[in-house]
Amino acid sequence: MNSIPVVELHDVSKIYPMPAGDVHALNHVDFSIQKGEFVAIMGPSGSGKSTLMNMIGCLDVPTSGEIKINGKSTSEMTDDELTLHRRETIGFIFQKYNLISLLTAYENVEYPLILKHGHKDTTTRTADLLKMVGLTEGQMRHTPYELSGGQQQRVSIARALANDPTFLLCDEPTGNLDSKMSTQIMEILTDLHSQGRTVVMVTHDPKTAEYAERIVIIRDGEIVDE
Amino acid sequence: MVLSLAVRNLKLNKFRTILSMIGIVIGVFAICAMGMLSAGFTEEMNSMISDTADTLTITPIGETVIDGTTTTGFSTTDLRNIEAAVKSVTSDYDFIPMYSSSKYIYIGKETTGATISGMDSSDITKIATLIDGTLPRGSTNVIVGETFAEDNDLRIGSRMIILDTTGQEVTCRVVGMMEDTGVMSLGFSTDNAVVGSIEWYTGLVGDNHGLYDKVIVKAYDPTELSAIDAAIEEKMNGKEDKDSDDTVYILNSYEIMAVFDDIMSMSSIFTTIISGISLLVAAVAIVNVMLMSVKERTREVGILRSIGTYRSQIMLMFLYEAGLIGLIGAIAGTLLGLIAAPVLLMGMMGSIDAMFTPAVLIYVPIGILIGLVVCLISGLYPAWKAANLNPVEAMSTD
Repeated sequence: MNSIPVVELHDVSKIYPMPAGDVHALNHVDFSIQKGEFVAIMGPSGSGKSTLMNMIGCLDVPTSGEIKINGKSTSEMTDDELTLHRRETIGFIFQKYNLISLLTAYENVEYPLILKHGHKDTTTRTADLLKMVGLTEGQMRHTPYELSGGQQQRVSIARALANDPTFLLCDEPTGNLDSKMSTQIMEILTDLHSQGRTVVMVTHDPKTAEYAERIVIIRDGEIVDE
Repeated sequence: MVLSLAVRNLKLNKFRTILSMIGIVIGVFAICAMGMLSAGFTEEMNSMISDTADTLTITPIGETVIDGTTTTGFSTTDLRNIEAAVKSVTSDYDFIPMYSSSKYIYIGKETTGATISGMDSSDITKIATLIDGTLPRGSTNVIVGETFAEDNDLRIGSRMIILDTTGQEVTCRVVGMMEDTGVMSLGFSTDNAVVGSIEWYTGLVGDNHGLYDKVIVKAYDPTELSAIDAAIEEKMNGKEDKDSDDTVYILNSYEIMAVFDDIMSMSSIFTTIISGISLLVAAVAIVNVMLMSVKERTREVGILRSIGTYRSQIMLMFLYEAGLIGLIGAIAGTLLGLIAAPVLLMGMMGSIDAMFTPAVLIYVPIGILIGLVVCLISGLYPAWKAANLNPVEAMSTD
């Protein structure tokens, strides 16, 4: 295992000011993820795992403390720098797939490449990624509404891999799938991990968490067990 | 890719897109058509009356009793006084006294009306251009305006009949044709005129006790017209200002041109304001449509932001949408304006020559530019709002 952490959290707290009083979503969290790890973050609803995922995914910044991605602190980053990090360092896989409904499966995967390179994919990378996750040529031309949940999640994985990110950040990747599809998706993630890919997965499902090599339990905004 | 997303979203909501475009089409059409019409009308009018913008037309107001008959006109003394007033300002002028009245003309089996004028043959070339034939001499020869000749199928040598004061038929022979000066020509319009010598006119209508019907003064330098106008007013009416006690009425083409220009400017401002209001309404509609689009696509914006789309790119995507609505709407509005303006101009002026002048055609790019800019400005707030959505909150929207 590599000694340089991909993700580091030092004394991270997140407070949401509310009319009824501040909500402490994260309380002084210290935690790191090494390159090549497959980490599952588990916790009940409202435990702070989604907040933690947003912090790691550069979608939100902490109220206090420091988060480093690949050794770079996100606290002082501008919105554009955070956006660039999300584009090039992190591959998101969401529970609801979050594909762009106006684009075909192929275009959804090609989109991050266009964002990065400024032009359409002139290589076979997009098609290769979609083939790798099991989509046929015909399915590539379909819009998300024409694909099943499992197929959409495959497209989502291919999109996450498009810019060869440092780590995959999965938010309940099997939450909307039946058990058969869930198994297939988790096998893809396991394969990616076995190829050396760092995978961070937020889940409340113990069966899904079993695929990870390390499980972090969070409750009331604090890490209670590893 | 953001342009492609903008285009696809517009296609997805075709009906809404078309509805929002209609506002821009109407606004740009109004600006374009009214602008082109106004400019075309001005151009047409200018071309019609600019040739006579160096002319004062002086007509008598007061009545005179001669040999027990009440009549009106300029006596030789009046003419001398008027010319003396002109001379007091400039020595570079033409002074053309003339007889003039309206008469029925019988050409074959057709009857038509025309303005018949009698003047010294040497004066005719000072206010009209002979394009064919010779100047009229004697008591039967006349020259006619080009339009009058075309309308009545007259050629050199054609004959027509006019009744004299006793009801006797007098046959006149066309010996020449005058170039049209335009129906709006101030002073003397040749378009529908029949002109002959004084001998011909007085033989037909009588000499009105030697009183002329009007005098045309042409200044070689049009800027001297106002001074000549004032000098005649003072000499003939006893003061420079016009009022109801005047004995002569002076039509100053130079001042009329200036008044006409003022009217057209006012008209142009008025139509611009009306068009501006319709564009403002269209702009509000665009803002509304774009805000709806942002609301409907909040989740999509959240996704795009989460996978690495910059705020500026989100903003650009919505501005593309607004810009496309504006561009297509403005082109459609301009095209409609390009169709409507010549039709209206043809109806008003009988000619569309003025349509193809830079002053009119400039409204094509102006119309497109205004439509585009209005839509882009309308799209700014919705685009800014979309760009500043929180990605996490936006993605959690259903």
